Amino acid sequence: MNKRFILIKCLMAMTVIIFSYGICSASGLDAFKGEKGVLRISGGTAHIPVIMEVAKRIMTANPDIQITIAGGGSGAGIKQVGEGLVNIGNSGRLPTEIEVEKYNLVIYKWAIDGVAPVVNPKNSIQKLSSKELQDIYSGKITNWKTLGGEDRSINIYTRDKSSGTREVFWKKALGKGDIFGRANFVASNGAMKSAVTNDPYALGYVSVGYIDNSVAPVSLDNVAPSLDTVKTGEYKVARGLFSNTKGTATGLAKKFIDYLLSSEGQKLAAEKGFIPVN
Amino acid sequence: MLFKENIARIVFLSASILSAVATLLILGFMILLSLPVLETGMIWGILTDPWSPDHGRFGILAMIVGTVYISSFSLLISFPISLGCSFFIQIIHPDSPGRFLKLLVQLMTAIPTVIYGFVGVFLLVPIVRKVFSYGSGMSILSASLMLAILISPTMILFFSQSFARVPKRFLDATEALGATSFQKLFYVILPNAWTGVFTGLVLAFGRAMGDTLIALMISGNSVVLPSSILDSARTLTAHIAMIIAADFDSIEFKTIFICGGVLYIMTSCGILLARFSVKKRVR
Amino acid sequence: MFSWCCALLLATGFMFIVGFLVVKGYRGINLELIFADTRLLDAFFLKRQVFGGLFPAIIGTLSLILLSIGFALPLGLASGIFLAEYASPRLKSFFSLMVDILAGIPSIVVGLFGFSITIFLHHFFSSQIFPCLLISALSLAFLILPYIIKTTQVAIESLPLQVRLTAPSLGATKLENIIFVLLPSALSDIVSGIVLAIGRCAEDTAVIMLTGVVATAGVPRSVFSNFEALPFYIYYIASEYSNSSELMKGYGAALILLLISAGLFALAHWIKLKIEQKTRFGY
Repeated sequence: MNKRFILIKCLMAMTVIIFSYGICSASGLDAFKGEKGVLRISGGTAHIPVIMEVAKRIMTANPDIQITIAGGGSGAGIKQVGEGLVNIGNSGRLPTEIEVEKYNLVIYKWAIDGVAPVVNPKNSIQKLSSKELQDIYSGKITNWKTLGGEDRSINIYTRDKSSGTREVFWKKALGKGDIFGRANFVASNGAMKSAVTNDPYALGYVSVGYIDNSVAPVSLDNVAPSLDTVKTGEYKVARGLFSNTKGTATGLAKKFIDYLLSSEGQKLAAEKGFIPVN
Repeated sequence: MLFKENIARIVFLSASILSAVATLLILGFMILLSLPVLETGMIWGILTDPWSPDHGRFGILAMIVGTVYISSFSLLISFPISLGCSFFIQIIHPDSPGRFLKLLVQLMTAIPTVIYGFVGVFLLVPIVRKVFSYGSGMSILSASLMLAILISPTMILFFSQSFARVPKRFLDATEALGATSFQKLFYVILPNAWTGVFTGLVLAFGRAMGDTLIALMISGNSVVLPSSILDSARTLTAHIAMIIAADFDSIEFKTIFICGGVLYIMTSCGILLARFSVKKRVR
Repeated sequence: MFSWCCALLLATGFMFIVGFLVVKGYRGINLELIFADTRLLDAFFLKRQVFGGLFPAIIGTLSLILLSIGFALPLGLASGIFLAEYASPRLKSFFSLMVDILAGIPSIVVGLFGFSITIFLHHFFSSQIFPCLLISALSLAFLILPYIIKTTQVAIESLPLQVRLTAPSLGATKLENIIFVLLPSALSDIVSGIVLAIGRCAEDTAVIMLTGVVATAGVPRSVFSNFEALPFYIYYIASEYSNSSELMKGYGAALILLLISAGLFALAHWIKLKIEQKTRFGY
């Protein structure tokens, strides 16, 4: 009798565990049940790996929802959401007060990220001072030899003005110094990474979340940019990742952002190399 | 019956008018949308300034120069090759090797430009970087080389067409006089077919100027005046593609309509030039 | 000798490009490239979206082709017929100048035009209008319109006089002559022109880049939604690939697009051969 009771108790406990586990794993996506329609997202390119994975999960759970994702950079994201061309506009910098006022933007911050200078892993120089970095980007230092490397010109890569990554890097790492016009221009964090991977003499900058073994982060004033140093505040070139909507988010956009901020979404952000906010 | 005829006539006419209107509408839109910038009297600044949005300067001179450099250089590379190929097709081997080459050239016209760009990124750029040990390999040279391959089919087809119109008896006569094929090309064919050659050149230049993907993918897109062919440069087309993806309503954004207008006018002038030369020949 | 070199150079360049893609890409071509981990039937009946496969891009490109040919074909045929049969010499020279200019406009400028019209409509007409499949198809239609007009016009004009005059001399009206005699006789020529126009639709990247193509969209549900397309996918991978398996997909996609273009070219060529046979034995 007693034994049986224990067994039943065990079984009950197990079902409760299984059941609650089931709720847990589906809870985030449950919100999308019965929804249909199109959600348009554009803007910041640092966000894309996380956004794409979330979109994939949602569209797999509910094929009636279509989520379209475009890049363009933070500036494009803010302006496109402001003009009503997309439902969510991502940005890797805080929208300016003028932008917030003009477009009535509501800002959702869902992760913290850093911006790190990167070089090709074959490059022996993986440490720079802020001064050296500024001199390189303004065109004063043009050869790796000056820094003790090979006798090859430094191929600088940069982003267009609308990039939030550029904005943060320019403000916090370059001290708003000049960026040399002779630099090569690329259109996104992904493009920056593959450009640096392909060019042994490159110097560029990407979101810390994008760093893997195909590019080498450059220590700045002896602080290596990584998730930990960004978290502790040691590495200063940090920023938030934001999703903006025109007015308070409603409908699919709200559910999408809720999912980003849920424990599942935050876990995903961490998996993709960012620091969750919750 | 007559009623039906008239209806048909009107339908056909309006279709033609619609196509013509579309052509003019595109130019109209470019001008209309660049008006806000033109009105401020900044036009001179925009055509001559450097591009430096951080300092409030939005000049597109570097892009115009980049466009002209890259297209001229690609023309320079592909012109002799195209001349040789069309000579090969029409005069030296009009039999099977020539026909095979012609088929190959026609096939090449069908290859998507994005494929040239893709191969450029992963094959040509590393080679250029290695060979010249300078810069990133994304350069005017790489873009021009790829563009040369893109535009030579246009030229070859045009050239061989005009070579074919050179009267056979001229060639036979020079042959009988014991001319080398080199002499044949320079003293008989070119003087007789130069309008066709010129038209082909102009059209090819337009094609090189109008291409976006190759320049965008492998020219490096930097915004200063290039000083050597190994430097990176940005074309007008690539500039439009880069800015539009990123911006929305700002002076930067409005200047791309000027870029569009400049491109439109440059290509239209080419077309007018080509037509003019053809007309002259007909007379 | 010089010609031989040129011919060889061009052929080698071509072989390098194709060879490079084939060598690097052939291993990437399999069902997984297109459907990723989704079951074929599920993908076709839209039960599940395909992620990481080329399926949505291929469907996007196909619908783009269908739509833009659908827009451009009636308009192009009608204008071509008008130019060949109705227009007075002066009207003809004006309209054909317009067509030539339209043909010469860089595709990115056409894209810019499509984009600015969209924004214009979005502001002043309905906020529900976005860059989308429909806009892309319309802009592409402008791009291929001149090709279709030109082929139609030339195909009709180059028919032998006896074909053009027989029916009218027997009392047929002009319209009847066009519908029952001229168009059918010129059909194969026109069709091969259309096939080449399809090739242009399949390969163009610059227009769609500005008018609604995005990196991820899934299969487009309506003409008002964003879409993916093969050439844009190739461009996207070339600049954004993050690991070797993604790069492999890029090679695969480039190879598929190359095969599609070559296939379309072969089709056009085959149709042309057919007509040549017909003209040799017919009439």
